Amino acid sequence: MKILINKTACVGNARCAAVSEELFPLDEVGYIAVEEVDVPAGKEDIARRGARACPERIIRIEK
Amino acid sequence: MTDVATLSPVVPKPAHVPDAAVYDFDMFRDPQYVADPHRRILDLVRSAPAVFWTPRNGGHWMLLSHAANFNASRDIEAFSSEFVSKTQVEAMMAHMPPGTPHIPMPYPINVNPPEHTKYRAPLQRAFSPKTILALKDSIRTLANELIDRVIDSGGCEFMAAIAEPLPVQVFLKMLGLPLERQEEYRELVRQHLSDPEPDPKNSMMKLWRITAIMRDTVVARRDNPQDDIISLLWKTEIDGKPITMDDMENYCVVLFIAGLDTVMNGMGHGVRHLAQNPEFQDDLRKNPQNIPVATEELLRRYTFTVPPRIVGKDMEFEGLQMKKGERAMLFLPAADLDPKEFANPEGFDIKRDKPHIAFNGGVHRCLGSHLARVELQVLYEQMLARLPPFRLDPQRAPTFHCGHVIGVDSLYLTWKV
Repeated sequence: MKILINKTACVGNARCAAVSEELFPLDEVGYIAVEEVDVPAGKEDIARRGARACPERIIRIEK
Repeated sequence: MTDVATLSPVVPKPAHVPDAAVYDFDMFRDPQYVADPHRRILDLVRSAPAVFWTPRNGGHWMLLSHAANFNASRDIEAFSSEFVSKTQVEAMMAHMPPGTPHIPMPYPINVNPPEHTKYRAPLQRAFSPKTILALKDSIRTLANELIDRVIDSGGCEFMAAIAEPLPVQVFLKMLGLPLERQEEYRELVRQHLSDPEPDPKNSMMKLWRITAIMRDTVVARRDNPQDDIISLLWKTEIDGKPITMDDMENYCVVLFIAGLDTVMNGMGHGVRHLAQNPEFQDDLRKNPQNIPVATEELLRRYTFTVPPRIVGKDMEFEGLQMKKGERAMLFLPAADLDPKEFANPEGFDIKRDKPHIAFNGGVHRCLGSHLARVELQVLYEQMLARLPPFRLDPQRAPTFHCGHVIGVDSLYLTWKV
């Protein structure tokens, strides 16, 4: 499973990181630092929750 | 205070607005709205069009549905924040008599990208989740000190005793302003709140009072930097040029208005809900780990800001003709109670996993959202940990004011001692 993020559309809500800082690392000022994350086995639910938490709807999960 | 008996006069409907899109609602004075704001919003969500034009307050659009607010917040060309452009301000200043003080402009709130990005950038780090997290312990200490003062009295007027002084003190600390002048700042906040309707002359005077009270510290930090936001701002550049006193005054005004007249109302709405729901208080006392999600659901259920926008071009939006220069309100409190987005919106459910838009979205997402969240969470944690079950004082119902912020004027609480 992969997390795909439209990074340029991030406005720094940081709600994904509130679900998991490990899966959704932030940069210095609190915006998403990555565009793609490989989800480790066992973390699929947390990845989905983090994606749903984004008020900008810019996080997608790819199986 | 606003006389709720007097609604603002009705203006004629422009020809391009169809009758079906007209709904008479006074966002400052509607009596039911001022009496119990979110009850009235639920009623509007059920009975008013998803986007309507009201003839009150000069005539303006109201965006109610979640979809309309979501889309409008992200289309800054269609729904602009630039009520007065930078060029217009500069032209206005050029015509003022010499010696007229600079008119502080609330940048980056009232400016579009690319200017917005330039003015917001220096503030981003100071309000990042990481910086804010480091303040959590000191916020908890402040909350405890305020609770200490009322805990033995069996009750308090929550807004004056806790909701207003807590963010004021946090704000003074972050900016590096002298804590011993706290009373002057609180007085300025009270003056600001007692006049919620925008009158240009009054607004200007208020802005000048804000910059005047902060001026000494701003100058002192320029010469002797410390570890605070004012010092940090002096070290930044805008457009590759060193920051000016005018820029600093703009920041002072933005931080003052956005930092003080907002989160205190979130506290008021949230604590009112807790006081009305003793079983929910019990639940959270037993499961304090749920306070962060409860804070989110309180923000959704009682979203309280109504950011204004100006239509940037003639266009069609949600099947309606809108003309350049018309005003449109992002009625976020209604968006977060839209049944199309949140099933059973009136119900309170901490298990919801859809995000609310209480802090709005798009580039103007509330810069202070991380601070507000920590202040709210810590306040609820300490209120629940330290006070016995608290209720609304049955003799004194809460009072509110409405406008761009749905504010709590008074909230009397009681508890057993």
